[in-house]
Amino acid sequence: MKRLTWILSLLLCCASTLGAADATVKLPPFTRVQLKNGITLLLMEQREVPLISMSLIVKAGSVADPQGKEGLAAATADLLKKGTKSRSSDQIASELDFTGGTFEMTGSIDFTSGNAEFMKKDLRKGLDLMADILMHPAFPQEEVKKLLDQNIDQLKSAKDRAASVIGRYYYAYLYGSHPYGRPTGGDEISLPSITRADVEKFYETYYVPGNLILAAAGDFNPPEMRQMIEERLGAWPSRNAPPVPVEAPKPSSGKRLLLVDKPDSTQTYIYIGNLGVARTNPDRIGVSVVNAVFGGLFTSHLNTALRIDTGLTYGANSIFTQRRQPGPFTISTFTKNATTGQAIDLALQILKDLHEKGLTDKELQSAKAYLKGQYATNLETTNQLASTIASLEFFGLGPNDVDSYYSKVDAMNTAEAQRIIKQYFPLDHLVFVLVGKASEIRPVAQKYAPKIDQKNITQPGFF
Amino acid sequence: MLRPALLLSLLMLQANPPDFGVRTAKLKNGMKILVQEDHSIPSVAMYVFYRIGSRNERPGTTGLSHFFEHMMFNGAKKYGPKAFDRTLEAAGGSNNAYTSSDMTVYQDWFPPSTLETVFDLEADRIQNLNFDEKIIESERGVVYSERRNSVDASNPGLLDEQLTAAAFTSHPYQWPVVGWAVDIENWNMEDLKHHFAVGYSPANATMVVTGDVKAEDVFALAQKYIEPIPSRGLPPPVTTREPEQMGERRVTVRKFAQVPLMMAAWHVPESSSPDFYALQILRTILFDGDSSRMVSRLVDKEQIATSIRASYDFAFDPTLFQVNVQPREGVALDRLEKAIYEEFDRLKTGAVPDLEIEKAKNIQLARFYRQLKTIDGKANALGLYENFFGDYRKMFTAPDDYNKVSRDDIQRVARKYFTENNRTVATLVPDKGGAQ
Repeated sequence: MKRLTWILSLLLCCASTLGAADATVKLPPFTRVQLKNGITLLLMEQREVPLISMSLIVKAGSVADPQGKEGLAAATADLLKKGTKSRSSDQIASELDFTGGTFEMTGSIDFTSGNAEFMKKDLRKGLDLMADILMHPAFPQEEVKKLLDQNIDQLKSAKDRAASVIGRYYYAYLYGSHPYGRPTGGDEISLPSITRADVEKFYETYYVPGNLILAAAGDFNPPEMRQMIEERLGAWPSRNAPPVPVEAPKPSSGKRLLLVDKPDSTQTYIYIGNLGVARTNPDRIGVSVVNAVFGGLFTSHLNTALRIDTGLTYGANSIFTQRRQPGPFTISTFTKNATTGQAIDLALQILKDLHEKGLTDKELQSAKAYLKGQYATNLETTNQLASTIASLEFFGLGPNDVDSYYSKVDAMNTAEAQRIIKQYFPLDHLVFVLVGKASEIRPVAQKYAPKIDQKNITQPGFF
Repeated sequence: MLRPALLLSLLMLQANPPDFGVRTAKLKNGMKILVQEDHSIPSVAMYVFYRIGSRNERPGTTGLSHFFEHMMFNGAKKYGPKAFDRTLEAAGGSNNAYTSSDMTVYQDWFPPSTLETVFDLEADRIQNLNFDEKIIESERGVVYSERRNSVDASNPGLLDEQLTAAAFTSHPYQWPVVGWAVDIENWNMEDLKHHFAVGYSPANATMVVTGDVKAEDVFALAQKYIEPIPSRGLPPPVTTREPEQMGERRVTVRKFAQVPLMMAAWHVPESSSPDFYALQILRTILFDGDSSRMVSRLVDKEQIATSIRASYDFAFDPTLFQVNVQPREGVALDRLEKAIYEEFDRLKTGAVPDLEIEKAKNIQLARFYRQLKTIDGKANALGLYENFFGDYRKMFTAPDDYNKVSRDDIQRVARKYFTENNRTVATLVPDKGGAQ
């Protein structure tokens, strides 16, 4: 029963939008070495609690999934722990659980990421296990089938909750055939077509030392840590992976609307937007400051209009999701069936007002203080630090990305905000995705686009 | 920097109870304050725990504690409507709050320079909260939307509500924290004023501050801003005790869905009970991690579930040990149910191997360290232990308390609580055609 669950999740998925007003925040020092076989190793000593966190990046995600095999990168990541040449799936689970440690690999869009954490006393055991999982997975046939079957069931379960799948419909509808339109976890059609051979091929192609970033932060001595890692991963034969080119997506033109019928809905879930910015866009900090005022903060224009002033919804917000190529810009909210039109009209009015009236200096100053004030909490834990330095390495950004955050936020002014609004916030070209009770909301939905597409939530796939 | 392992060993050497780096003070109006300094990042977390939640409500106004929590952000005397959030954001701070069956908890996260502003904001709303009819109506819509999101649009949320309502016949844990829909429609200003008068005396609250502060500064500001607020009465004690359940209860929910769901719950004691730790170790052995007995058997080996997990949360009064299962498509639910009971029965009859107990204790130890990683995690955990166990020190001694759990304890609690008569089972049956 949290007052602000939605805003918390927003902060989690957008580490770069946050910021202390007292002093500037700097990334703690770390060392970067390239092992002989090509693994990029990043080590940061942090001795607050006796834990070691690690973050891994394999530079291939769902963008490397072959057409028709959507979900392959994610399935490969999940299957790593399901048996190696010398350990069964059971043994891996027991050994890992016994240490109280964690190690998960997860396929995402631009890359596959891994997170591991071990207590200091169990570090060697943990590293042994991690190395075996990464270097010698067996992908047993029965485990492949089991996982894919479970994923299909989970997909149906996810479709029983609009909030958990609306993003997948939105990305598919917004990006179309561009790789960013693919469902990372696959769909009911693609998952059954994935074979053990596909998984093995994906692993052989992309899980190679030249394609791997390993960042560690925590209670260790860096030279000792480097040696421990080299002893275990150094024997992995040196190889590079083919690059995974992702071309720039094209913004959606005109107005388009997808209505997903979920007939038991008492509330309509709404996503509206178009393309946003890439993680490396030089304007990204400015964009996040303006977005904080428009839809990022609790007191934002959107949340003030749709929640605080009218009580139409538990929450309304907007986010620029940053990827290698421009990620989506999304306005999101939900409201009861009867006020679906009122909520969409109001959100569109707030967007129009942003273009026509901009934002005030007072709002800007407040957002700047907020973003700076909260920034340090993104760099507090060893998990956050390991994942930050791994991600900076992947995107080709340096520590300066963190160290210059305050000065970039400070540099924002109302004139600059005006330029950013015109350049990055869509107005006339918009994609709408509504998940709700079509028999009640279709007449309203028709107002927003010349032609609407409709799908039933029980139909396979996302678009 | 906190080194719990080290502090625990120090415990043996000291005659006086150690403070584990936590400073405490009690204001004249009865509010207790806990401060733990941590200067690792320039940030502060403040939590205020009020010992009032949905268990203090009555039929007709269920959900009022949670609604009141929302109203705490809607204007007081010095800081009017919208001013709490705006003032805090402009000073680099953020906030949130949560309500449970037992407590209502307010959270602020901010840079050190904002400490005095936060005290001013908190003192204003604790002392002089204001209610405006128009704002009440608007906020009613917000909470109703929150309920639609967490119950109507969430099959697990819906089934959990029905399970809990059936498991308790007398105790107020039977109704949802968010409140029944019809009660959301009916609360009024008098209800809110009454709730404020009953639950929000400073003596009914604990404040926890962690992070980049000096304890002396926190105490001085508390004396300046909070201590002058007069103490009022405490909420009337909740005297209802749930009578012993004398037979299995079963609940069915039919609604539009693609997949079924199943939940089962057993009555178990409150957090301060000596059986708490043994039940948590039991839960870990059965449900925590891919190698746990339930996950390994149901998800991995027999493939009759896609997920299974169990919860046994902190509670002032006897509560539920609840199991939530996502069955695999096409699996007969009675087969799934039988497998779950068999695993409980194995604990009643057979001895758990030492290695499995050690694994469970390791998992608890790692969990203990993880909650100390952030100043936010420390603030929340200190406040929860202080309130549910009567002493924040129980947070630091938790690894020791888990270590004391024996093989016999696990068998004893398995036999005592996981009986057929003590259980309530709920299933959600998909109705794929009729959505009306």
